[in-house]
Amino acid sequence: MTAVTDQDPTEHTGHTTGEVVPAGRPDQAGRSEQASASEGRSEQASALEGRSEQASALEGRSELGSALAGRADRGGRSGQPSAQPADESGRSGTTDRSGPGNGQEPDRDATERVTARGDVAGDATGEDAGGAGRGAPSQKRGGERHSRGYHARAMDAAVSRRTERDRERDGAWGRIGESGRDRNGDAGAKRRAASEREAAVGHESVSGRPVAYEQAVPSVPAVASGHSVVSERAVGAPPGSADGGEGAWGDGLIARRVDERNGGTDPYSVVPSRPAGSSAALMPLAYDGQLRSRLDALRELVGLSRTRLDTGTLGEAGRVLDEAAARRRLSGQHTVVAIAGATGSGKSQLFNTLAGVTISETGVRRPTTAAPIACSWSDGAASLLDRLSIPGRLRRRPIQYPDSSGSPLRGLVLIDLPDHDSAAVQHREQVDRILRLVDAVIWVVDPEKYADAVLHERYLRPMAGHAEVTFVVLNQVDRLPGEAAEQVLDDLRRLLDEDGIALGEHGEPGATVLALSALTGEGVGELREMLGQFVAERQAPARRISADVDAAARDLRPVYVTGQRTGLSEEAREEFADRLADAVGATAAGEAAERAWLRNANRACGTPWLQLWRWYHDRREPPTGRLPLRSQVDEEATARQRVEQAVRTVSERASAGLPTPWAQAMREAAVRGAQGLPEALDELAVRTGLPPGRPPRPGWWPVAVLGQASMTLLQVVGGLWLLGQIIGFVPPDLGVPVLLMLAGIIGGPLIEWSCRIAARGPARRYGHEAERLLREAAAGCGRARVLDPLAAELLRYREVREQYGRVTGVGAVAR
Amino acid sequence: MLQNSPEIGHSSHVVTLDVRPQLLDALSALRDRVAAARFPLPLAGAPRARANRDELLAQLDDYLVPRLKEPEAPLLAVVGGSTGAGKSTLVNSLVGRRVSEAGVLRPTTRTPVLVCHPEDHHWFSGMRVLPDLTRVWVPHREPDDDLLLPGENPTRVLRVETADSLPPGIALLDAPDIDSLVADNRVLAAELLCAADIWVMVTTAARYADAVPWHLLRTAKEYDATLVTVLDRVPHQVVAEVSRQYAALLTKAGLGDVPRFTVPELPESAWGGGLLPASAVAPLRTWLAHRAQDLGARHDAMARTAHGILDSLKSRMPELAGATAAQYAAALRLTAAVDGAYDGEHARVRSRLQAGAVLAGDALKRWRAFPLDCTPEELLDSLVESLTALLLCSVTAADERVDETWRREPAAAAPELAGRDPAPESAEHRIGMAVRRWRRELEEYAEDEVRELDRNLAPDPAVVAALVATVLLGGRRGRSAGERLAERIGAHGALRLRDRGGRLLDEHVDRVLHVERERRLAPLDGLEVHPEPQAELIAALSVLQKER
Repeated sequence: MTAVTDQDPTEHTGHTTGEVVPAGRPDQAGRSEQASASEGRSEQASALEGRSEQASALEGRSELGSALAGRADRGGRSGQPSAQPADESGRSGTTDRSGPGNGQEPDRDATERVTARGDVAGDATGEDAGGAGRGAPSQKRGGERHSRGYHARAMDAAVSRRTERDRERDGAWGRIGESGRDRNGDAGAKRRAASEREAAVGHESVSGRPVAYEQAVPSVPAVASGHSVVSERAVGAPPGSADGGEGAWGDGLIARRVDERNGGTDPYSVVPSRPAGSSAALMPLAYDGQLRSRLDALRELVGLSRTRLDTGTLGEAGRVLDEAAARRRLSGQHTVVAIAGATGSGKSQLFNTLAGVTISETGVRRPTTAAPIACSWSDGAASLLDRLSIPGRLRRRPIQYPDSSGSPLRGLVLIDLPDHDSAAVQHREQVDRILRLVDAVIWVVDPEKYADAVLHERYLRPMAGHAEVTFVVLNQVDRLPGEAAEQVLDDLRRLLDEDGIALGEHGEPGATVLALSALTGEGVGELREMLGQFVAERQAPARRISADVDAAARDLRPVYVTGQRTGLSEEAREEFADRLADAVGATAAGEAAERAWLRNANRACGTPWLQLWRWYHDRREPPTGRLPLRSQVDEEATARQRVEQAVRTVSERASAGLPTPWAQAMREAAVRGAQGLPEALDELAVRTGLPPGRPPRPGWWPVAVLGQASMTLLQVVGGLWLLGQIIGFVPPDLGVPVLLMLAGIIGGPLIEWSCRIAARGPARRYGHEAERLLREAAAGCGRARVLDPLAAELLRYREVREQYGRVTGVGAVAR
Repeated sequence: MLQNSPEIGHSSHVVTLDVRPQLLDALSALRDRVAAARFPLPLAGAPRARANRDELLAQLDDYLVPRLKEPEAPLLAVVGGSTGAGKSTLVNSLVGRRVSEAGVLRPTTRTPVLVCHPEDHHWFSGMRVLPDLTRVWVPHREPDDDLLLPGENPTRVLRVETADSLPPGIALLDAPDIDSLVADNRVLAAELLCAADIWVMVTTAARYADAVPWHLLRTAKEYDATLVTVLDRVPHQVVAEVSRQYAALLTKAGLGDVPRFTVPELPESAWGGGLLPASAVAPLRTWLAHRAQDLGARHDAMARTAHGILDSLKSRMPELAGATAAQYAAALRLTAAVDGAYDGEHARVRSRLQAGAVLAGDALKRWRAFPLDCTPEELLDSLVESLTALLLCSVTAADERVDETWRREPAAAAPELAGRDPAPESAEHRIGMAVRRWRRELEEYAEDEVRELDRNLAPDPAVVAALVATVLLGGRRGRSAGERLAERIGAHGALRLRDRGGRLLDEHVDRVLHVERERRLAPLDGLEVHPEPQAELIAALSVLQKER
């Protein structure tokens, strides 16, 4: 309970400062604390006597609480520096909670209490999930953590089951193990007991807890102010507390001791990562947010493109995903480092030197090492080695220093590989297989072979993206005289640079290049130190996976990106519509309609004499041009070839700038859409064309006809009048009848002419209307059948393209 | 230096080297055939075939032909091996002074160095062997001089040195690394080895199991070249064990009778570029001198390598011939794909013409309006356009089918084939021209027909042309046009005009499709993959076999 209350102040710190603490920093601090920690551990056997001890532990915790409160004050004042202590103390609190429980194991009745206490602990971790949500209003990243919290909860049971299995393997390890592991074996037994208890606790925590523990909840965000830390804690908390059976056991004490000694003034007193590392690694690996989202994006990308790309292209990406998932399930406390190199470069020698004991056979016989050998500096690496399929008889332990817990290489799993360049092909196959699975690689080269083509071309260049998890070690410098070593090292650097490997000089991320002699030990200390730091950072698996994702993305680049503009332009759409209109004959139909209208107008409004003449003319001419059979509906009225060409052109335009598979998909979509398009257009032309028969007559036509009739009448009247004068029937008067006739003769054509002028506008409108109807109908049909599927396909490509951008980590993608 | 092999000479290979002019003729004929062989299509075996051809050519040009022409020329021993094996140090020690740069940085030797006795200098200063390499001769060179002439490609240069300490009749060539990081070096090393009478393969205690040198050793065995191996830089503590191991490996590879020399690792050999003591290399030196001075041994060494290469032709020439045959087969498949696509499209065009597909869309609308609302020119225009569209469509479709088929052919990835002109407008232009020409000729035919008719009854030739075009292109739909045409110019004239026009149309359509097909095949034809080289290679080989 105290632990719970302890954490309240830390919560405040976390909130008031709102700072993100990098995950690596506490770890380093932890190592600096190594000495005191181990000290605490050696004391623990005697210290853990029983309840009195527990009482003091509680006391200690209350002290811790006050110390934290003090720190919180400071944090409020100074911002960033204080966030870190808050983080640490929060974590220490977590381990704390389950800690005493195991400590009291011998004591019967204490155990009961401990179980209760374990409840609290497991519960607090279980509540992480819900708590994140409940505390959300006061948290900045509440929502985000919320979902992750649920994930954590769901995983609880699974993880604890798995850790059981792990532990059993560890037991096997213990059997294989050499001397000096008694303590470990002991611990293993204890841990098994503890984990059984914990499993139950885990259950309870899953089932949810009363609100009484809610106060513990808001502390979690404070603990997990760093991104990666959040997930690590959330996912790994139940097993973490379970393995606390051994690790946190000492930890509670250490926390107490530190507090007692320093009176809470030292903010770096307790580091949570170390105890977990010292015990069996049961905390699975966790990737940070960016890597996780990239992996998710890659998974989605593979899913989206499965129908478009063949499995060979996606094979590597799928493999990376599988490996990432497989690695993720395994220990995050360990870093698997392979020693690779040419035959005779001294891989095994270096391996033995690092292990401090002759594990791997060395010799002058080439090639020497035929199968990979593993050496693990701490427990819990069994599943990792299973993944590499290294058999149990080839798993070793390094020499046990008197103070083994303080080994700086804790968490390291070293693999000695066979050579990659000898005439024995199966060696190369083994190397290739294992290199894909390890977290980091130490390339051992020697002065004789450092420029071998096979090393650079086959391995270093393709793995240039993995520079951050690469060490290149120039071995056998004792064979080089004086400054020659420097020269060769420089040349090696130059070659690596040419291979495209970023060199980790001047603190930049990149490959580490070292010169050493495994034989004399020169430079080995430096490598050991770097390895220790590297392993303690625990970033190698994530970096490796990240580099794998980079490489997979780079390989996939040609099938997703062309760097050209994509999309269907407006011109292309219009051109498509024009071509379809041509295919159905919209223009011709419009012109024909316009002319027919005009013709009808002329016929209607022309002078009767002209019509008479036309009639006569038609009778003389053979009756062609208006054959009745032509009114029948033609089949295939649409020009198939034009439709086909239009579809082809538009699909070509749409797929311009797309990578080949997607262009192909675009073409297929267009062809699929174009099936039945000509038939649809045929039908359309019949349906939407102008109604057959005579075009509509405008209202002024009767007037015009009337005018023509009256003009004719005038002519007739004038003529009759004149005739009457000639006959003598009427008195001769030339003036009026001539005038009448003249008016009729001039007026008739005049009306006809003006009608023709007047008809022009409506005729054009009529023709345009006819054309527009057909054109729009055709364009609509084309849009529905071809353009829309194309646009959908384009959209799908863009989606994939964006997903790819997310994989590469660039984010927004230039289209 | 230790002498591991009790038996050095190749008594089992006592062969004579009598060279008749016919053999030389046959050989140079064969050489020309090999040089003429081309593998332009990127098939799976093409890079290998190209490399084989180059290697064979190098062996013929640099070794076999000059050797058979002038058997009295000095022997050439090429020192080859992995980077850092100590080749240059070995050569320097054999010569007794620093002729080749040795050092700790890899790759060290970038320019091959040939060392010979001053009397033999004329053999190598000319272009007798290794004619591709520019000779650089610096007679009185200070050891620290810059080795390269400025602006010279370092890998295509051969430096010729003379040394009195070397016995006359033999020359040493220090080759670049066979597994160098510099690709040019590797190629050059392979080429230099082809010119060797004696292959001196240098390896080290750390390297004797490497894959790359073993590959070379196997090659040497395949060609039955005179081979010596030197196990260099062996730490003296492990001399016995390493050399036993190496011997076991060699025996396992069937090279047990190859002379082996072991050079211990001495402080001088390491990295300083200094000379090894004469005693360390004395056995090798003696062996080489023996080859140079003893006529029998010299003849043995020479004849063995020469006959080895001649014998190897028996299997390598058919291999090359097979590769050329594969090229031709691939080219044939590509051509067949084009032919198939165009034939299919041709048939489709014919059936579409029969069905009157041209009289559709715009043209159909015009025809319906003809003659009341449409002039004959307009009708003819639209028909011509429609025909152009039909032809263009089928040509594009054929190209698409060709692309489809070619995509599955690895041979179609050749850059010459991939880079075809991407402008379909040009095809449109060409087809449009052809169709317009047809139209003009059709109009002339129509005018001819009309001219023969009675003056006052004669119809407009444009109408006749439009009607006959409709008949030809309209299929069943254009039947009424035939009736009208018969009314205008009489049944007999209509039939005649129709037949002539039909023939003309077929001719033009055929020509258009043929031209487009030829254009498509032009790049493939440009690669000049023919069936003849296969037969020629085999023939040259059998002539050579007869002459031996």
